[in-house]
Amino acid sequence: MIRELLVGAAGAFGGTIGLACLLNAPRRTLLPSSLIGVLGYVLYLLLSRGMGQSLIFSYFLSTVVIAVICEIAARVMRTPTTIFLLSALVPLVPGYSFYRAMLALVEDQGAAAAAYGLQAVQIVGAIAVGAAVTSVVFRALGMRRGSITPRSRFNPREAK
Amino acid sequence: MTEAEQSCALDALCSAAQLMLENGAETYRVEETARRMATGFRLTGVSVAALPTLIFVEAEGKTRILRISRRGTNMTRIERTNDISRRVEHGGMTAQEAGRALEQVARAPGAPQRTLLLASAVTSASFSLLFGGGPGTFAVAFLIGLAVQAVQPLFARIEMGVLFGNFAGGFITAVLAQLLAALFAYGDVNAAIVGGIMPLLSGLLMTTAMRDTMYGDLISGVTRAVEALLLAGAVALGVYVGLTVVSMMGGVLL
Repeated sequence: MIRELLVGAAGAFGGTIGLACLLNAPRRTLLPSSLIGVLGYVLYLLLSRGMGQSLIFSYFLSTVVIAVICEIAARVMRTPTTIFLLSALVPLVPGYSFYRAMLALVEDQGAAAAAYGLQAVQIVGAIAVGAAVTSVVFRALGMRRGSITPRSRFNPREAK
Repeated sequence: MTEAEQSCALDALCSAAQLMLENGAETYRVEETARRMATGFRLTGVSVAALPTLIFVEAEGKTRILRISRRGTNMTRIERTNDISRRVEHGGMTAQEAGRALEQVARAPGAPQRTLLLASAVTSASFSLLFGGGPGTFAVAFLIGLAVQAVQPLFARIEMGVLFGNFAGGFITAVLAQLLAALFAYGDVNAAIVGGIMPLLSGLLMTTAMRDTMYGDLISGVTRAVEALLLAGAVALGVYVGLTVVSMMGGVLL
């Protein structure tokens, strides 16, 4: 388990920092986003392998934690959240399920392809919902403090 | 404010919105940036609407419509444009200054190809570790990452070239990983392939699409989700063709 965690952390670090470079992330955000990526992936490993939680729950919770830290990091460093979020979440991409589905398709094993494909879709869904929930909560908090300008709606007084 | 000044302010506002959208910012951020700059320039009667391929801006009775045809992800440009818009909002920049600064942002080149090559190789190699790859797989995934990024500039000039780039990436990954495995036993073929396609699949997370949807930009959200699925589908097709080609050749060559 310890070895798996260490290898996972190293892989997640290299992968996140490499991807952040591919996306032309500003240099000062490289290290923070890869550390967030490592943290999220290690949390995922602990939840799914260490504590035996279900796959979907592990993905969901890790995504929420990553997204919360990204929102905070973005506010501290005064930069858009997306910059952190896009690279920090990448270690969670279900590449393996996705590829196994393809492989099963090539080998003409329809049932296996469907199972792996469905797993990939479930994981993507869990991550999407996790990221969306966090985004909504932070937006609601921001609106209350008035730091995010609400969108202008049609205003009859302005239009005259 | 004179007519010319208004025009200049509107131009700066439009180029900021365009830069944001072209480089992968969420739709609400594009609109917010434009609105923020309008406040800074004291424009009245402002309304802004953005879609992934279009921007409409109206201010002081003037309307601008911009078509966005080139889209990619460049976070540095998003950050710098965001910075300029905030400075404008607080009155720290005139329209002309902002226009010049934005032009600089637009002209600043992205990371050079050798950096991208290294980044892609490191990404692929690192991710192969996550899927149970050993040192041999790490080395092979590194090579695959280099090869996948090396062909990307070929598709950069074509409209929707990313689609072809992703297909080529998936194909190269599947073929290289299997051919190298036939030459010498380096370890886990599957881990090498998954490592190779991970950088291409990053869009699959659809974070931008989700955020757009959650902010009420339903059209943008759906459009971006479809785009992400299309790009992932291209990778899948590439891998599929690569696997099939090698298994067909396998009978003849190996």
